[in-house]
Amino acid sequence: MLLSNLEQVRNRAATIMMTTSHPPSEVTHISGDFVLRNRIIQNLGWISLCIGILSSFPICEYAAASQKIDFEKQIAPLFVSHCLECHNAVEPEGGLTLTEAKLAFTGGESGKAILAGDSEGSLLWERVQADEMPPKHPLSDDEKRILKAWIEQGAEWPAGVIDPLGKSTATRAGRDFWSLQPLREVNPPEDIQPEWSRNAIDPFILKRLRHSGLTPSPEANARTLIRRLYFDLIGLPPTPEQVAAFIADHSEEAYQQIVTKLLDSSHYGERWGRHWLDVVRFGESDGFERNFQRENAWHYRDWVINSLNADIHYDEFVRRQLIGDLEQRGIEGAASTGFWVAGVHNTVVGGSERMKLLARHDEIEEVLATVGQTFLGLTINCARCHDHKFDPVTQKEYYQFASAISGLGYGERFESIPDERKILAEIERKLAVVKSELSQIDEMTRLEILKERETNHDFIPVTPAPYARWEFDGNLLDSVGSLDGEAVGQVQFEEGALVLDGSSYVKTESFSQNISEKTLEVWVQLASLDQRGGGAISIEKRDGSLFDAIVYGEQQPGHWLAGSNNFARTDSFGGTQETEAVNRIVHVAIVYQEDGTIIGYRDGLPYGQPVKKSPIQKYAAEDTEILFGLRHNPPGGNRFLKGKIHRAAFYDRALTAEEVAASSGKAMDYVSETQIVDWLNDKQNKNRNQLKFRISELTRDREQQLTVTNQKMYTLTPRKGEVTKVYLRGDPANEGEVVAPAATEAIPGLSGSFGLPPDAPEAERRRKLAEWITDPANPLFARVIVNRVWHYHFGTGIVDTPNDFGFNGGRPSHPELLEYLAIQFQQNEYRLKWLHRLIVTSSTYRQATYGKSLTEWEQAKKIDAGNRLLWRGNSRRVEAEILRDAILAVSGKLTAEQGGPSFKDVSVTLNSGTTYYEPIDIDGPEFWRRTIYRFNPRGGRSALLDTFDCPDPSATAPRRTVTTTPLQSLSLMNNVFVLRMADYFAERVESEAGENVEAQVEHAWQLAVSREPNSRELELSKQLVNNHGLSALCRGLFNLNEFVRID
Amino acid sequence: MNDYNQQTRREFFNWGMNGLGATALATLLSRESTLAASKDSKLQPKARRAIHICLVGGMSHVDSFDYKSELKKFHGKSLQTDEQPDLFFGKMGLLRQQDWEFKPRGQSGLMISDMFPRIAELADDLTILRSMESKSANHTPALFLANSGFEFNGFPSMGSWISYGMGLENESLPAYVVLNDERGAPNTGASTWSSSFLPSNHQGVVFRGGSQPVRDLFPARKVDSQRDAATREFIQAINEQHVNQTGIESALNARLKSYELAARMQTSIPEVSSFAEETEQTQSEYGINEVQTADMGRRCLLGRRLLEQGVRFVQLFSGGPVAGSPRASWDAHENVKENHTIEAGRIDKPVAALLKDLKQRGLLEETLVLFTTEFGRTPFAQSDADKVGPGRDHNRYGFSSWMAGAGLKPGFAFGNTDEVGWKAVGRLIPWHDFHATILHLFGIDHEQLTFYHNGIQRRLTNVHGDVVKEVLA
Repeated sequence: MLLSNLEQVRNRAATIMMTTSHPPSEVTHISGDFVLRNRIIQNLGWISLCIGILSSFPICEYAAASQKIDFEKQIAPLFVSHCLECHNAVEPEGGLTLTEAKLAFTGGESGKAILAGDSEGSLLWERVQADEMPPKHPLSDDEKRILKAWIEQGAEWPAGVIDPLGKSTATRAGRDFWSLQPLREVNPPEDIQPEWSRNAIDPFILKRLRHSGLTPSPEANARTLIRRLYFDLIGLPPTPEQVAAFIADHSEEAYQQIVTKLLDSSHYGERWGRHWLDVVRFGESDGFERNFQRENAWHYRDWVINSLNADIHYDEFVRRQLIGDLEQRGIEGAASTGFWVAGVHNTVVGGSERMKLLARHDEIEEVLATVGQTFLGLTINCARCHDHKFDPVTQKEYYQFASAISGLGYGERFESIPDERKILAEIERKLAVVKSELSQIDEMTRLEILKERETNHDFIPVTPAPYARWEFDGNLLDSVGSLDGEAVGQVQFEEGALVLDGSSYVKTESFSQNISEKTLEVWVQLASLDQRGGGAISIEKRDGSLFDAIVYGEQQPGHWLAGSNNFARTDSFGGTQETEAVNRIVHVAIVYQEDGTIIGYRDGLPYGQPVKKSPIQKYAAEDTEILFGLRHNPPGGNRFLKGKIHRAAFYDRALTAEEVAASSGKAMDYVSETQIVDWLNDKQNKNRNQLKFRISELTRDREQQLTVTNQKMYTLTPRKGEVTKVYLRGDPANEGEVVAPAATEAIPGLSGSFGLPPDAPEAERRRKLAEWITDPANPLFARVIVNRVWHYHFGTGIVDTPNDFGFNGGRPSHPELLEYLAIQFQQNEYRLKWLHRLIVTSSTYRQATYGKSLTEWEQAKKIDAGNRLLWRGNSRRVEAEILRDAILAVSGKLTAEQGGPSFKDVSVTLNSGTTYYEPIDIDGPEFWRRTIYRFNPRGGRSALLDTFDCPDPSATAPRRTVTTTPLQSLSLMNNVFVLRMADYFAERVESEAGENVEAQVEHAWQLAVSREPNSRELELSKQLVNNHGLSALCRGLFNLNEFVRID
Repeated sequence: MNDYNQQTRREFFNWGMNGLGATALATLLSRESTLAASKDSKLQPKARRAIHICLVGGMSHVDSFDYKSELKKFHGKSLQTDEQPDLFFGKMGLLRQQDWEFKPRGQSGLMISDMFPRIAELADDLTILRSMESKSANHTPALFLANSGFEFNGFPSMGSWISYGMGLENESLPAYVVLNDERGAPNTGASTWSSSFLPSNHQGVVFRGGSQPVRDLFPARKVDSQRDAATREFIQAINEQHVNQTGIESALNARLKSYELAARMQTSIPEVSSFAEETEQTQSEYGINEVQTADMGRRCLLGRRLLEQGVRFVQLFSGGPVAGSPRASWDAHENVKENHTIEAGRIDKPVAALLKDLKQRGLLEETLVLFTTEFGRTPFAQSDADKVGPGRDHNRYGFSSWMAGAGLKPGFAFGNTDEVGWKAVGRLIPWHDFHATILHLFGIDHEQLTFYHNGIQRRLTNVHGDVVKEVLA
């Protein structure tokens, strides 16, 4: 009985394996064919675990039909596995719902489905028996027997609703799935071989090896170990001197010192930063049709490298990528959130609203996929159109996540560097002092002039001629040109003024010419001083996407502003608070100069200081209009002005200060600079000129300092969070309920609720999401990262799918070890360098790759050819970037420069709005930097990196595939970079080893593969050098197995 | 029993994975299907290779392969619909009649217009699909969708899947070759023929003209040939010794073999790229001597040569980047007559010659010729609502493609659009169904050709796909 049960389990496990086993790429570098069987063993292990712990696991329950059928343990899991995807309460297929007794016994459109006690009369059984249901995937004979027996035994169905996500079944994970359970305290197994074990990792490994009849390999030799450490921790080869020193003293202490030195090296961040960038698919172009460059995306790359070097605690490392901009002002916070926009972004989304919505949601899904998989190994993105088919994440929860990140925005931000900001502040302080001195002189002079003017009546101001002027004397006509207005909504006229009620506005005919320089002018009275954002007069592109306007109180309450689309040209004038416009008419004018300077005037006098933020906005003939009372189209929100406009004018040029003053009727109060200069004596003027010169100097300094202080970077530019609705079947046309920002309830012991309303502020949503992800009670958070680190050290993770800890992912080869590492990592403050040290100082890590006798090897291979259990060291092909870095290092060309803008070894060609990237042949120190600093656009690949499996950054690459192809060999032989570096390598060898060929050969071998050649190798090498030169040997060495593979 | 089979399968996989060895996954899949006992055991491979002519920009189906007599009648009338369809520019003008004459062709009497006079002569060899539909009316997502079944960057293309599924037939040539239009690569560039998460040996390899038809085929700078050979011998000698010392790592053997194959490629690629063996007549039939058809003619002829040598999948693009003026693709927003006359003029003769040549050499029986476009064009003009402008906007709701060759019903058209050619009706053919059908012709069950990536066994057909059985012979 027991035996036959086990047999069933085994068969069952085989079937599971057939449907969920992973294709080969996942195991390529593991040479054997054993992995698959190993997986069966794992599955068996997992299942036997289930027998012990999860006694309700359904496959353990397929017993003889004659026994009493238990609904909870046998029927409910069967329904969950095979029926509820369609026959659920939300959208029941054929009207049949199988989640609760009442509905199930009511039946569906075809009638009653279950007749208790009568299987032959039950429609459910009829369809199941005929293999019509479930469609395509009929039930097994066992399952059928159980179902039939259950009906015949009376179809007992206890009260309550089946929770389809509660328990794991043979086809999907429930909330009881292993990876979702809280972290467990685990003690290392009792040490059975203390002389071998160095730390807590080893007994775990040893126990598993013993269990499978395996023994560990002896320790690798010193040369192998030091190469392994160097490539693993910093991704660069050791120098011959470093190797020699370690061979001379390979004591434990010396080993530990190397580990310390490498973890402290700034190359550590470059090496491990590359791994992280693989996972978050960091690329430096938009992808899709236009594929524009992102020349300022590198700030995030540098932030990752620097943070890893600083060993920022991993939870903080993650938090900053999610909400760094909310926690740290300035450049660092902005750089860290580059995480959000590391992926592709479609800038051509088509015309219709639906196309735009779809494109937006595609983007959200892509980012949610990255967030879920990167930090939690959770594929939440699979629940966009329906509940997750394999993991306990509902469709509603997907939209809760979507709501949490609905403020996602792509773009560039200016951020300032703190130290530079201090210098800037000092310049600005000096500037203010000098300006104030000048103002005092001018003000005193002005008063003197005005006093004199009172007695002299020769002064006649000249008013400028407008392009268009509206008097609003009972109509909306342009009194000088053809820009007549048209009312939208209720407008009235009162005493020669246009009355705006806060919902009406006026628009004009189109301009017949292009407009660049301009002046907006208005005589206005406000209905209230506390209104925010209304436009008095605006010039806009007809669809409202571009505009410049006189706006009241938007960015700064109680102040006049030069409003513009997305505040592109808007900055505070720093003028006085408006207190009078409610009682009387004020004159407001804004002058837009060709160089981008914008000057405000109130009552004819300068209003605060001019602003200059962006180039001037030009407007096209036929597509441009004037608005009164509306900031810009489309109408709505806070864009309406409430008040009266008595008169308005538009000038197609920038008026001078004198002209504005004259037009405002305040010419009598206006004193021009010429008048001031004429008034002052020579000495006074000399002093004044010096001040002016100083001001121009300081202004220039300020401008220069501004460009240094403010860095442009491609990063998250959050927008307003949206009120998110469920899209049934993922279709925006099919809206379901409104959801609040929240996470999933998949993790027992961690609530997914954020306690936020659906319209919560963007920052709050993201903050709560970050808290939830990094919550110490979230077991996935620690498990996933320790597994990732393990994966990069050994080539395969304890779970071999680093981005997926769900049902479709792998099962841990060493579950206890994973628990131990996760909880220890948490208790050691999430310090990655602590974890690296633990791993690389273990005996497990230090095993030889080829340390066993052939007989032992053959035996071990039969048991575990894939080396999942780690009975030896793994031999691994280095990644494409590391290969290039190693070539540079060995050739003596690798530059020490770290960080900063990426170097480009591709040409960037714009062809009809699309960007093309082609590899180019280019040489020089700025291109001899480590490959992580290479400009990495989507689809812009070099043959060398490409053939060595460097992934295109369009999709996440949690583990790289490893191929060996003829094109790869061709690249390593013929690529221009390789050929050139071979020459440099030869030059280096010659200069360091001298003329003697034998010395040259030995030195070249030492540099390339950290050892001297054996006699045959020496002979062949000398022959090559003598016949074809040293460069030929150097090219050859780059192609050796030992150069591209690390044992 | 299971263990034996699975281990064998794993070995096969591993071998294929390394990019060496010619094992066809299809055989293994069918074996697995028998094991699973739930699959269509009648799946017989018909095609061994395919050549895909991929039109960039959107060909007007109502002007080429989908004749609508009503369209003439309704010329200048409004479509009269309240819906706001996914158009790219959103301007819905009045219905516009065809700009080309249609005639029944060949024995089959298939209606094909004069836009493609020479292809039309071969109507009896074509299998036309007239109820294609796409999820996107936007170039890049639509082109991605047609190639990979997804609208985004980051998914393997059909050619990569076929390479992955069918393996190599000729180890000294890549399995998947891409030939771009001389006016430029499509907007999506290398992302279009990416193997994405499939191993990189399944990526499309771009063949170009000149002395270096494939990147890094020969040393980037002149290297003395004796020196080159001596270096290669040195590498092989040392690596062989290394393999003998360690003795056991299969990946090391694969490296040895990859250098042998690399050397063979240096001969086979220039050989296949040279037309020296092709007669003057053949070359002129392909249109190589005429300015208008020279580019496509060369690529079609090279395509045939590659197929002959065992390349699995050859992809030819007709059209470069979609934007710009004058148009260098099929994106006829301004004027269909002008644009399509030029574009069709570039490819009609070469494609017809290719079809005839394949047939005459007996290759067509095991070769699929695919002729597809991103989407169709609207039956109404792209102009103001009261006008009949000369251009047409994108139409994702209905369009035509055709196939020819292995396992297909020749001289046959399947599927319909509505009376004016606006939307496909009845049995719609989304790209997933198209892809499922192609795989089926290769003897592959599209639900079985999977690759695990991030939580999902990924497929070319995502979670969709129904074989269009009606077109199978």
